[in-house]
Amino acid sequence: MTTMSTPANGASELLDLAAGVFLLAAVAILWLRDVAAQTRLLAVQGSALAAMAVVLGAEQAHPELYAVAAGVGLLRAVVLPALLRRAVNARAADRETRPLLNVGASLLTAAALVLLAYAVAQPLVRLEATAAARALSVGLSVVLIGLLVLVTRRNALAQVVGFLLLDNGITAIAFLAAAGVPLLVELGVSFDLLLVVLVLRVLTTRMRAVFGSADLDDLRELRD
Amino acid sequence: MNPVALGLAVASAAGALAVAAALLAPARVRVALVGVLTAVLGAAGMAAGGAALAGHIFTAHVSQLLPLAGVYLAVDALSGVFLSVGGAVVLAASVYGIGYFRHSGHNGHSGGNGRAIQVLWPVFAFSLVLVPAAASVSTLLVAWELMAVSSLLLVVSEHRRSAQVRSAGVWYAVMTHLGLVTILIGLVWLASAARTETFAGIAAAAPGISPVVRGGVFVLVLAGFGSKAGMVPLHAWLPRAHPEAPSPASALMSAAMVNLGVYGLVRVGLDLLGGGSRWWWLLVLLLGSLSAVYGILQASVANDLKRLLAYSTVENLGLILVGVGAAGVFKDSGFPVLAALALAAALLHTMTHAAFKTLLFLGAGSVLHATGTRDLDDLGGLRARMPVTTGLFALGALGAAALPGGAGFPSEWLLLQSLIHGLVVPGVTVVVLLPVAVGAIALSAGLAVAAFVKALGTGFLAKSRTPAAEHAHEPPPAMLAGMGLAALACAGFALVPGLVGPLLGRAVAAAGLGGAGADQAAGRLSALGSTLSPLLVVGGALLLVVLLRVLMRLVARGPRRAAPLWDCGAGPLTPRMEYTATSFAEPLQRVFDNVLAPESDLDVTAYTESAYLVERVAYSRAVPDRVEHRLYTPVIGAVRRAGTASRALANGSVHRYLGYGFASVIVLLLVLAAAQ
Amino acid sequence: MTTSSVVISALQVTLVLAGAPLLTGLMRQVRARLEGRAGGGVLQPWRDVRKLLRKARLDPEGTGPAFRTAPLIGVAAAIMAAAAIPLAATGTALGSGADLIAVIGLLTLASAMLALAGLDTATAFGGMGASREMTITALAEPTILMAVFALSTRIGSTDLPAIVTAGITDGARLASPASLLAAVALAVVVLAETGRLPVDNPATHLELTMVHEAMVLEYSGPDLALVELGASMRLAVLLGLWASLFAPWGIATTAGAAAVVLGAGVFAAKLALLGAALAAGEVFTAKLRLFRVPELLAGSFLLAVLAVTASFFLN
Repeated sequence: MTTMSTPANGASELLDLAAGVFLLAAVAILWLRDVAAQTRLLAVQGSALAAMAVVLGAEQAHPELYAVAAGVGLLRAVVLPALLRRAVNARAADRETRPLLNVGASLLTAAALVLLAYAVAQPLVRLEATAAARALSVGLSVVLIGLLVLVTRRNALAQVVGFLLLDNGITAIAFLAAAGVPLLVELGVSFDLLLVVLVLRVLTTRMRAVFGSADLDDLRELRD
Repeated sequence: MNPVALGLAVASAAGALAVAAALLAPARVRVALVGVLTAVLGAAGMAAGGAALAGHIFTAHVSQLLPLAGVYLAVDALSGVFLSVGGAVVLAASVYGIGYFRHSGHNGHSGGNGRAIQVLWPVFAFSLVLVPAAASVSTLLVAWELMAVSSLLLVVSEHRRSAQVRSAGVWYAVMTHLGLVTILIGLVWLASAARTETFAGIAAAAPGISPVVRGGVFVLVLAGFGSKAGMVPLHAWLPRAHPEAPSPASALMSAAMVNLGVYGLVRVGLDLLGGGSRWWWLLVLLLGSLSAVYGILQASVANDLKRLLAYSTVENLGLILVGVGAAGVFKDSGFPVLAALALAAALLHTMTHAAFKTLLFLGAGSVLHATGTRDLDDLGGLRARMPVTTGLFALGALGAAALPGGAGFPSEWLLLQSLIHGLVVPGVTVVVLLPVAVGAIALSAGLAVAAFVKALGTGFLAKSRTPAAEHAHEPPPAMLAGMGLAALACAGFALVPGLVGPLLGRAVAAAGLGGAGADQAAGRLSALGSTLSPLLVVGGALLLVVLLRVLMRLVARGPRRAAPLWDCGAGPLTPRMEYTATSFAEPLQRVFDNVLAPESDLDVTAYTESAYLVERVAYSRAVPDRVEHRLYTPVIGAVRRAGTASRALANGSVHRYLGYGFASVIVLLLVLAAAQ
Repeated sequence: MTTSSVVISALQVTLVLAGAPLLTGLMRQVRARLEGRAGGGVLQPWRDVRKLLRKARLDPEGTGPAFRTAPLIGVAAAIMAAAAIPLAATGTALGSGADLIAVIGLLTLASAMLALAGLDTATAFGGMGASREMTITALAEPTILMAVFALSTRIGSTDLPAIVTAGITDGARLASPASLLAAVALAVVVLAETGRLPVDNPATHLELTMVHEAMVLEYSGPDLALVELGASMRLAVLLGLWASLFAPWGIATTAGAAAVVLGAGVFAAKLALLGAALAAGEVFTAKLRLFRVPELLAGSFLLAVLAVTASFFLN
């Protein structure tokens, strides 16, 4: 891990704020059932991520973090949510009506996951008691919540949302722990994300054409 | 500038240019350009190896090339042996390939002038140069995988020809990657125990590693590298894959790639792990003897010419492993001179085997090119149409049969010497195993003579048995030039083997058998020329032959006249009355019936009108690979059953699959949290 | 390679060259007398050679260089072996290059060439003889090398002069179990390599029972003379090798003229004795079936292995 220098008080508060918005957006995605609303929350989360990157860049004096923040912000706050929104149909078929886990149970599970993330991140916090270290547990929580969304939603688009959530969490951890990742890796990951979204869009369209809905459980019929 | 570095740099540049030429050059000049550039690569590799053997050492660390680890290169005298051998084989095969790939596209093999093969060729050649130069675990593994993948793609490059090619490709892919995984696990385990991944670091840390870890690593590495070297019972891919590749690629695989299995074993076992326990090397000795006998036994009953040569590779690698095993045993028992001698014999046999095996495979390629068949039963009479090829093949066969005048004779002689003197080593296991090894070498030597007399006699001499063999023609000059280079090497090893004595002494010292032992052994090796005096023996024999011929010419009454053959008065002889390869090998097959277990099928069809009138008789016989039958079939069956049973895990639900991933992440985090 | 060693080698070669047909003649004569026949006389093989040399040289159709050079290589290999092995004296021209493995290798090369010549004729007999000969050679190799192993462990080298000298100076060693076992094993191998009963019948006229004769069926005239000469020289050389290894008394260890001449005389006498004994034994032996020969050779291999273990354990 690279050094996490102690930022000025204002900067650390900003970081805490951004991390809080980040986590809240993830929880809200789990709470709401409308995919269109979920994409808007994804945009919010993307902006929070970009803000975290800017704050870290400011007090660690890493100018390239600004460039990365701009790129990340553009991709995750603007481009990907827009792509996803276009795929969302106005019809009610895209509301998650019967998830595998009902909302109450998924919120409780999310609470347990956040606790687990905090427990696992304790040694890191003990290592360096900075705002960035505290925010690490937020990143880990978002990763676990993203996985939860992936596992428990039937709708293909909702799964894309979960995947993007997962990746946002990983990127947050990368920024907080190591002042970002090498530009090459970030470019590669971004390209991957773009591809995933595009592919899943096409898949959803095809599924709608064949099945009339985008329920992934219909794919089980193809097994034999 | 360090000549080794220069050689490696030229090789890399030539390789890169060759790949570029393969991708960009027009079809007219593509094959020639790639061939010439790869030949330059080979020559540079050979020069680098030669410089390393002459005493220059080279190390380099390029940190940016591989993520996480960087590329570590180091060339010492031991790498130099394999570098020079690989480079020389690449040189001969590339020159040959200029003619072979240009004229392919007829006679049973598909076009080799396509981009795919031409790109793969320099990549494969470069990987053969890279593996001996690797000096860290990750570099070695990357180079190894590059070699495996490029050779695999070369093997299946003619996949449209027959289903056998595809099956051979599958076998090769599976076994080489299983070998890679085994090597990976072994080396990573070693690196983690030594807390460093560079070879220098591991060698320094090795004495402190527990014997259990070292033993485990050695067994894994033996399995992985031994499989590449064609060690029985992990050899099943060799006789399937080598025949199906294009002939220059077969030559590279059989004469250069399999050696790298031995290199890995020597490097890890003797150099990095510092010798280890005696049971390791007794195991190697035993498996080597088994490979030697089993390989040549299968070769002597094989009808397919390239399959015969592939099994002969198994045999020769078995002999090399016997030498390596003996070296390890002697070193562990405290006899450094004997150990150095045994390892030097193994390394010398590596070099001579590369020389004659290249020549033989290139010759087989010429036969395939001229007649379209590899089956010895369908050939015959090629001497009249392809005299030069026959002569060169005869030289290679002489080397493979390890008779005086052949390249294999000095190295087998040296191997026997080191074993014969080994009885002074105390210990009952050694006293029992050494005679077994000597007996195995002797039996393999005898069977090798039989196998190669069969290959030469039924394939090239006598009369043609099929129209394909009747219409054979001499291959184009590039192919002859490639064979000529290999023949030159064979003749050199046969006549003046003592020249490489001091070089081998340095290589043996680099393998960890240094000190007074290596110096003495080097002295004995240099005196090889006078101890064995092959030049004198061969020269004397040739002189006598010429003398006798002149004498006979003088005594003779008139010129030679043609005369008919003895046909018992029953009429003219037809080529169908000749002995084919199958019939030649029949007494041997009968003697070793229990080991070979041939399968034969006799089908007699009678007329419907009368059961006593036979309409047709169909007979087929095949000699399968018994080890494959007994060992692999049950293992594959068990794996298949396990696979079918685990289908229940994959019932088609996307959520279940995602759930598996999620659950494992949670479990890991819980474990992490609990372990703090 | 001193002059005296060259002279010794030349003497040995002349002796073998001139005496090998005589040896064959002696053996045939002994057989004939024991079988109640008059026999053709000891000089008959030389008369045969002279007759054959006067005939025209024939080239069977379809044969090539392999067929024509095989007889030459057979004789050349036998001459080289005669020059190298210490038959009359230990100081032969090749000196320490006279390695036992190399000499055996030369003789194997000669039989491999003959097998190739047999295959080159493209007749069924040629192929049959070649196939059988190669099988027997392949199975005899382990015994040879094991016996070499047994002999050379004590001395520490496979050098023929060294082994012979050790046998002369340390006579008791020759009576050791290891040596006796190796002697019997090598005797069987000599029978196999020279094509004598019970492995192969040199006097048979039935093609299906031939091994060596089937390979050379197509040779005639001067070529046949060379083949016959080569075969008898091979017999003389191998018997001489056996005698030098296991009954080396009389072989000159110095290069003095008297000692060498005595050595040559003793060599001739030993050869005659061995030949006569072999011929006498052949009268009472029948040829083995081809597929019983591997059993015989396996038995000789076992004896050789016992020789090795004896030389180690009874050290």
